[in-house]
Amino acid sequence: MTTEHLPSAAPSLARLIQELNKLPGVGPKSAQRLAYYIIRLPNEEAFDLAEAISAVKHNIVFCQECQNLTDADPCTICANPQRTREQICVVEDPLDVLALERTHCYHGLYHVLHGVISPLNGIGPEQLKLKELFPRLANTDVKELIIATNPTLEGEATAMYISRHLQGANIKVTHLARGLPVGGSLEYSDELTLSRAFQGRQEA
Amino acid sequence: MPPPKTYRAEGLVLKNIPFGEADLLVTLYSREFGKLKAVAKGARRSNSKIVGHFEPLTVAKLSMARGRTLDIVNQVEVTENFSSLKSDLTTLARGLYVAELVDGFGSEASSNQQLYDLAIETLGAIQQHPSWELVLRRFELHLMRASGFMPELFHCVDCRKPLEPEQHRFSPDAGGTLCLDCAPYGVQIRSLSLRALKVLRLLHRSRIADLPQLQAHESLEQEVKSLLSTAISYWMDKEIRTNSFLNHLERLPKAEVSS
Repeated sequence: MTTEHLPSAAPSLARLIQELNKLPGVGPKSAQRLAYYIIRLPNEEAFDLAEAISAVKHNIVFCQECQNLTDADPCTICANPQRTREQICVVEDPLDVLALERTHCYHGLYHVLHGVISPLNGIGPEQLKLKELFPRLANTDVKELIIATNPTLEGEATAMYISRHLQGANIKVTHLARGLPVGGSLEYSDELTLSRAFQGRQEA
Repeated sequence: MPPPKTYRAEGLVLKNIPFGEADLLVTLYSREFGKLKAVAKGARRSNSKIVGHFEPLTVAKLSMARGRTLDIVNQVEVTENFSSLKSDLTTLARGLYVAELVDGFGSEASSNQQLYDLAIETLGAIQQHPSWELVLRRFELHLMRASGFMPELFHCVDCRKPLEPEQHRFSPDAGGTLCLDCAPYGVQIRSLSLRALKVLRLLHRSRIADLPQLQAHESLEQEVKSLLSTAISYWMDKEIRTNSFLNHLERLPKAEVSS
C-alpha cells in the first residue's frame, strides 16, 4: 500500500499506516485502525511504543555463544555461572528458550538455530545457526546435546542432520520425548504419534 | 443442482504452511480431484487432535466442506505415513523431492490417478528399494508421461524419422530426441549417448519391481540424471528447491548421512 492510496490522510498519518501495513498479518484496514488508535493514545504511551521499537533495533544482538537474542553479550543464561556447561539444548527459536525456562527443570545452556531445515522451502543447514554450533561443541566440555526441535517433519529432519553430523563424536545426543500430550486422547492420535509413544514408554 | 457441501477424498499431503492464528493451509494431491488446498482449523494448537495428520508425505482420507475460497477439513484419518522413509534423512529428502515434483506438475481440480498412483508407488519404493537412483529417474520420466510432457524417445521430433542406433541429441523444449541431421532454430540442444537413450527407453517401459535387475555405470547414471533434470526443470519452469538439499547430503561423507 502506498501513500497515494490515502489522498485524504495527512502525509505523516499515511506514512504510519503504510509502515504498519508492512507488519505480518496486518492488512490495510487493520493498519488504518491501528494508526488511528495510536493517534488517540496519550503522548507518553505512544512515545513509549516508539522508544521500545527503537531500543530493540539498537540494542538487541545475537549472543555469540548461544545465538539467542540478547541486549548483553553473552546473554544472561550463558553468563550465569550457576548453569551447567555440560549440557546444551538445541531449539528452533528464541521463544522456545522462554517456554523451556518456564518449566524450571533444565539448568544447562542453549543453542538457538533460528529456523529448521526445510527442503521444500529451500532452507538448508547453511541458512541456520548450525555452523556456530559445531565449533562450540568442539571447544567446550559439553557431554550431552539435547535436541529440542519441534516434532514436525522439518524439526525431525534437523534433529537427524545434527545427530548424523555428531556420529562418532564423544557427545551423548538425545532428543525430547515424543508421544501423547498431557490431556490427549488415544482415539484421536495419529499412528506416528502413537508408535513414538510406544517406543518411548517408561516403567510405571 | 448445486454441488454437495461436503465431499470425501484420499490424498498425499505435499506441504503445509501456517495459516492465520492457529490453522494450517494444507496442499495435498488427491486421487479423486487432483491437487487440493484446504484449511485445517486449529491444527497448530498444542491440544489439536489432528496436527500429526498433515505432515508432508502422509496419505490420509479426508472429509471436507466447500468454503467460499478455501475448503475446510472436517475429519481426517491417516492411511499411510511412510514412517521408515521419514526415519532416515536421505530417504526423507528423496521423498520431499517427489512431493515437490508432484506439487509442480499436478493440476488443481483435475484428477490424474496415474500421477497419484505413481507418487504413492515411488514413495513406497524409496524407503526399501536398493536402486533408489533408478527409482527416482523412473519417477521423473513417468511423471512427465502422466502429465502429458513425455519426451519423444523413438523418433526424431523434427523430421519424424525413426532413430538409428547411434549418438543423438536431446532438447526438452523441442519435445525430446533429435537426429544428428536436424537442428531446429532457437532450441536448447545437448548430446545424448546411445546408451543413455537405451536406459531412458528401458525406464519408460519398466515396472519398479524390474529395476534391481538394471545395472548402469555411474557416468551413465549421471548422464541420464542430468538429461531428466534438464527436462523436469524446463517444464516446471521454477527452481527445484529440494535439489540443493539432496546435493548437500551427497557432498557429506557417507557415514554422516546414511544409517
